[in-house]
Amino acid sequence: MASKVKKTRAKRRKTTQKKTAKQKPGILRRLFRLAMLLVGLGIGLGVPWVIWLDMQVRDEFEGRIWDVPSRVYARPLSLYTGKALSKESLLAELRAAGYRKTSQASAPGSYSVSGNRFDIHRRAFAFDDGSAPETRFLLNLSGGSISSISDVSGSGDSGLVRLDPAEIASIYPLHDEDRTLVALTDVPGLLVTGLQAVEDRQFKHHHGVALRSIARAFVANLKAGRAVQGGSTLTQQLVKNYFLSSERTLVRKANEAIMALLLELHYDKAHILEAYINEIFLGQQGKHAIHGFGRASEFYFDRPLQDLEPQQIALLVGMVRGASLYNPRRNPQRARQRRDQVLDIFATTGLMSAGEIKTAKAQPLGVTEKPRSGGSRYPAFLDLVRRQLRRDYRASDLRSEGLRIFTTLAPSEQEYAQLAVSNGLKELQQRGLPDDLQSALVLADVASGEVRALVGDRVAGRNYFNRALDARRQIGSVIKPLVYLLALEHVDDYNLITPVKDEPISLRQPDGSLWSPANYDHKSHGEVPLMEALIRSYNQATVQVGLNVGVANLIRKIRQLGVNAEIPAVPATLLGAVELTPIEVTQMFQSLAAGGYSVPLRSVTAVLTPHGELLSRYPLRLMPLEHRDAIAVLNFALTQVVEQGTARSLHGLLGNDTLIAGKTGTTNERRDSWFVGYTRDRVAVSWVGRDDNRPAGVTGGNAAMRVWAGLFRNLPFEPFDLRMPDGVNFVWVDIPQQALTDPSCSGAVQIPFIEGSEPGRSTKCLQKQDRKNRKSLWRKWFEDKN
Amino acid sequence: MKIKISYLGIVLVLLLLVGCGSQPPVRDHEVNTRVRAPASEESAGVQVYSLQNPAVKQLTAQAEGAERAGDLDQAGSYLERALRIQPRDPQVLQYMAEIKLQKEDYQQALNFAVRSYDSGPRVGEICSRNWRTISVAREHLKDANGASDAEQRASQCMNTRPAAF
Repeated sequence: MASKVKKTRAKRRKTTQKKTAKQKPGILRRLFRLAMLLVGLGIGLGVPWVIWLDMQVRDEFEGRIWDVPSRVYARPLSLYTGKALSKESLLAELRAAGYRKTSQASAPGSYSVSGNRFDIHRRAFAFDDGSAPETRFLLNLSGGSISSISDVSGSGDSGLVRLDPAEIASIYPLHDEDRTLVALTDVPGLLVTGLQAVEDRQFKHHHGVALRSIARAFVANLKAGRAVQGGSTLTQQLVKNYFLSSERTLVRKANEAIMALLLELHYDKAHILEAYINEIFLGQQGKHAIHGFGRASEFYFDRPLQDLEPQQIALLVGMVRGASLYNPRRNPQRARQRRDQVLDIFATTGLMSAGEIKTAKAQPLGVTEKPRSGGSRYPAFLDLVRRQLRRDYRASDLRSEGLRIFTTLAPSEQEYAQLAVSNGLKELQQRGLPDDLQSALVLADVASGEVRALVGDRVAGRNYFNRALDARRQIGSVIKPLVYLLALEHVDDYNLITPVKDEPISLRQPDGSLWSPANYDHKSHGEVPLMEALIRSYNQATVQVGLNVGVANLIRKIRQLGVNAEIPAVPATLLGAVELTPIEVTQMFQSLAAGGYSVPLRSVTAVLTPHGELLSRYPLRLMPLEHRDAIAVLNFALTQVVEQGTARSLHGLLGNDTLIAGKTGTTNERRDSWFVGYTRDRVAVSWVGRDDNRPAGVTGGNAAMRVWAGLFRNLPFEPFDLRMPDGVNFVWVDIPQQALTDPSCSGAVQIPFIEGSEPGRSTKCLQKQDRKNRKSLWRKWFEDKN
Repeated sequence: MKIKISYLGIVLVLLLLVGCGSQPPVRDHEVNTRVRAPASEESAGVQVYSLQNPAVKQLTAQAEGAERAGDLDQAGSYLERALRIQPRDPQVLQYMAEIKLQKEDYQQALNFAVRSYDSGPRVGEICSRNWRTISVAREHLKDANGASDAEQRASQCMNTRPAAF
């Protein structure tokens, strides 16, 4: 439309010019026509342009919804008689949910405790599936579980009580930065006034653009011969921050000015200032930008904004002009000069007295040596929440104001997981392993796939690299269970006692080179039962079995188990030359741990609008895999990895002999250490290695398993359940004879077989055995052999 | 696993049947006509009780209330909470399958029923409900052979009566 208008105008101008030549109208008339032309052009082009800018800036401003971020909740803790719960865990959960310890729990959100007896006053809370009123109840712990739970009068069982969940963060689901949002009423007065004194003294009066400031800046810059002063108002700076770009062109400036005017038209000063305080760029940490004074205060001083001293406020205000130029950690001298300059402005504008300025200037910068990461205590888990929200919800839904996001995090278990990583690596260091080891740990519920804890760095709260989600590392022997699973699916060819050959093998690689995998102990073990090859993690035997089942089938299996990574179709894949992230490995083993009832790992259970409408819930969806009988048989073998295989030191580390299924993994030159372990109710994966992938001296057994054990030492868990599905039976066999046998025979071992895969013949006893020895026979068979 | 003959159960079932005869039920969804009623009739009061956790019991009762009120989503949500506490409780898994059946989510109905059978007693009323649900779900999923196989399996649930009976 605009171009049409332009053409007509141009035509008209031509005719006008012709006329002018003839009639020579007065100068006033010519000026009038020019003005009309400009107005026409302005309306034709300008109006759509302004409307477009208006849409842009409002979208940005409202998209952030700086005054009502989305609240993220941990999972609510369900309390009922019989629930396994330690006193430490309950205290950690109460702490995380913001409960205060008082002498008598008279107010909602408080509790009292004496010995193992808790008096808890729960707040009223709107859960994702309905509201619950405040309630007060008594809870007794004994022997690691809840022995009774009753209402405060002590009469009758209260049944099930849910604790209102910990609020773990406020986020903008569509943005990557961790922010610590502050309401204008909580911002120190000196920051509010100081910002205006330094950056925009006309803030209260202008309409988004201050011509006087621009003129002043223009003169100052002209005098200095370079840009020393900016004439941008706080509103203009806010706009600039929304569309961060260092480009300094006139068009850009004009756009910014128009958008600033538009913002002022739509919103009041308080809203704009609050947005500014929460938005302005104040530093960079890895790929994460530090936005807002609340977050910057934590990042530089490790304290909340409300607790800052005047000189610290001055430093942050000074950094608005150049967060990197005046970075107090990198350029302390320059930062200090700038801070003192700002303090002087505070003095001249009467915000601080001369005496106060003197004291403030005498103070050091006061920044912490290392930045505290994440505004939240759970940045790594929130990372997963954000990704899953963006994957599963429409952006337009996530943009709405003040959502309530219910997640699966268990605060006490997250605390234990982080401690297991931090302390575990310290311990490894003391044992002579490198001091730059890193680690990741993922803990999920077996049946629901709900992620309870996620650790991506050895330092709590740091999250510049979330190893649990982003570290792609070779998985080594952790892949072997899948090779054997494929074998067990071939009922006619394989069972747990099928003899397989562990002997030297050489294979031509796609690039022509020869690949000759060796065993960890550099020995070949000859013919061994399939189960022994797995639980002792023999490489050569695994390659033999793997070539029979096929690399392509292995890759297909990994996909079926819910992992979508690139996997090379080469023989080395059989020994785990496949790079996966810890969360992918967890997904893979969730399916196995749940006996083939695969569910996608999830961190979000429901999202509600502020009015309590359900945006959508993630319902529990079961995806049963085929060959669940083979999975059950494999799981039995994996319990034997812990009972007598490469993970046999786990019981010692845990201090008990509960039945657990597990697998260790180590990669070439000891670069990566993995441990996957699961019980009836929990599955966890730990990884230890170096970020730069150099040899780290780690093995599955010596590093990752220690981290795993560090977590499970503190968790209640149920032993792995060996109940077999339909079509799988425990059968007494004689392994060397490859035959069925009588339980009373010497050498008889009880092992699960898929119906139809049992040995076809029976053997007679040569020797009867002692009845009481029978139980541990499988172990005995191994011990005799070694 | 405890096996109990509940005479009260027999009486209740009879009363229910009498009730059905005289007055048509308000809801005649196939989950009632083709799963629950025949399974209950066949078992004639034979119940295989698994020890149920009190919290799970409470949530199951709440789910029943929600189902009666016609709020299947709420019922499903209670059952999901119950499954967080006891993920392999065969009764809750089967109940979830029946809710999914009513919501016409036949694939999930099938999956939950199979899961319930895997972790359940594989005999008695619940077994029968498992296979009847599987049969109805397969029928809707256009697997006629599978449906009649499942029907067959349902009829076998009562053959292998526990020794104590």
